[in-house]
Amino acid sequence: MTTTPTPATTPGEAAVRSTPTSDDPSDNAITVRGLVRRYGRGADAFEAVRGLDLDVRRGSVTALLGTNGAGKTSTLEVVEGLARATEGEVRVLGLDPVRDRAEVRRRTGVLLQSSGFSGDLTVVETARMWHSTLSAPRPVDEALGMLDLAGRADVKVRSLSGGERRRLDLACTLMGRPELVLLDEPTTGLDPESRREVWRLVRGLRSAGATVVITTHYLDEAEALADRLEIMHAGRIVRSGTAGEIAAGHPSTITFDRLERALPDLPGGQVDPSSYGEPRTVLHTVDLQVTLTALLDWARTEGIRLDALDARTASLESVFLAIADGASTTGTPAATDLPKGA
Amino acid sequence: MSSTTPLASLDLTPAPADAPRVGPLRRLVGLARANALLLTRNRMTLSYALLLPLLPLTFLLAGDRGDTTAGTTAMSSVLMLGALFPVFYNLLSLVVTRRDELVLKRLRTGEARDGEILLSMALPGVVAFVLISAVATVALLALGQPAPANPVVAIAAVLLGAAAFAGLAFWTAAWTRNAEAAQLTSMPVILIAVVGNLRAVFPERLQPFVDLTPGAALDALARAGWFGQDVEGAELSFAETFTTAAEPLLVLAAWTALAVWLTLRTMRWEPRA
Repeated sequence: MTTTPTPATTPGEAAVRSTPTSDDPSDNAITVRGLVRRYGRGADAFEAVRGLDLDVRRGSVTALLGTNGAGKTSTLEVVEGLARATEGEVRVLGLDPVRDRAEVRRRTGVLLQSSGFSGDLTVVETARMWHSTLSAPRPVDEALGMLDLAGRADVKVRSLSGGERRRLDLACTLMGRPELVLLDEPTTGLDPESRREVWRLVRGLRSAGATVVITTHYLDEAEALADRLEIMHAGRIVRSGTAGEIAAGHPSTITFDRLERALPDLPGGQVDPSSYGEPRTVLHTVDLQVTLTALLDWARTEGIRLDALDARTASLESVFLAIADGASTTGTPAATDLPKGA
Repeated sequence: MSSTTPLASLDLTPAPADAPRVGPLRRLVGLARANALLLTRNRMTLSYALLLPLLPLTFLLAGDRGDTTAGTTAMSSVLMLGALFPVFYNLLSLVVTRRDELVLKRLRTGEARDGEILLSMALPGVVAFVLISAVATVALLALGQPAPANPVVAIAAVLLGAAAFAGLAFWTAAWTRNAEAAQLTSMPVILIAVVGNLRAVFPERLQPFVDLTPGAALDALARAGWFGQDVEGAELSFAETFTTAAEPLLVLAAWTALAVWLTLRTMRWEPRA
């Protein structure tokens, strides 16, 4: 695991934290089995979620990753109790999110993908309204201060920037002191500083014992925050684990500017056929160190210079892109065309 | 951001799982308060909701003082416009707009129940309708018209009328695509409201059907509750005002039940995809 990339902001931590999925449901804040979510009927029917299993351990941060249309939001909406599952079983805090709605909601904080507030109310009026609906809320001022909105309290929601509106949304999500927090793309549209602040909140929630599920397009965000990543594609979870675990077993890559001569046989290495005739030669290898050493030895012996040499282990990004292309996944049915709008 | 509230000082500990649950009344009042604020934010909506329904009273200034024919027409029109504007149309556009803004979906992620969310949207308009009816009653007295013949019937008329037209607003909202479309989708309900004031225009054999509309029920109740008359203008005893009011009250209750049933079956909480 020495070549495993570690998250930039919490070195090594993710791997240590990683806990294998437990079969004991009491350890889970969320348990999903065989979830299918179908829109429409008959010929127009479209399956956004196609038999999804998911376990979220209490006190962990789980990131749900996937391209647009992978089914992330469709899955979250069932967990949130906003939509019913077409098939399958969902337990949230040991309860049914639709039937036990009142009990589940009291302990859950939800951030939807799109904010939903009336433009004609001010920030503080909106926060007060939300406050009135909560069982054990933190004070309005505290909630607004947490997301640096105290100075914007009397501004109409209509006049807020996209990032400010998102922060107001998040302030409402956290106002009820939830033990389970479901965040659907919380940092989309935020400036880098606000984004870091959201990261700190998520880490703070985790330290305080809350469970967080976050969907995101940002791989660095998932790597930095999550104990466990769940990569979705075409309505299923196709890879799970820490960033390191997910990248492990995927080939490393060596690239350099094309040489005007043939390469020798390199142990473990293989030229990517798609790079033939391209300006850059791409090698894939299961053992980066051995292949790279052989390549460099050969180059020194022959007196060849390898321009713009680049060697990297498989990263979360490369695995994610491979999945998004429908190319690589272990034990996954062949990816079909990407569904849209789910 | 961190300069204002250092995260270290924030307590993000979840509330205890057995924390007492907030009461439905607190949620309802909190949500209704926000909806009332929204109503006051829009001058146009506010004047339509509060002033327009009182306009028929001005006819009384022109006619003979104490002329109950003019009085019944005025009060009947006030009830119709009060049910149509603050209750029906205001609520219809509120539901559709807030659904488009994803406010309804957001609210449903919280602790408020569906019924509380809906009721909180209806309440400001219903309160406005009650106020309008009260103001109109006082204005009638001041303009030489009699005091309400049967206050119980009058109050029941306002409350059941509000319930019926609020229910119809939710049902209409369920199949209204957006706020602009509401100008057209509101027509069926506007028709069954206005038809009550035009009852006399219809041939006699159609009148029993007209009597089944909520508009005609409100008209009959205005006559019985405020003026002690039946729809033909005959004087009623106090006991007779109850029996005469029973049918239109039942009509309003039936429309309310129908609207609630339809709403439960067809309510949409987020915009069509």
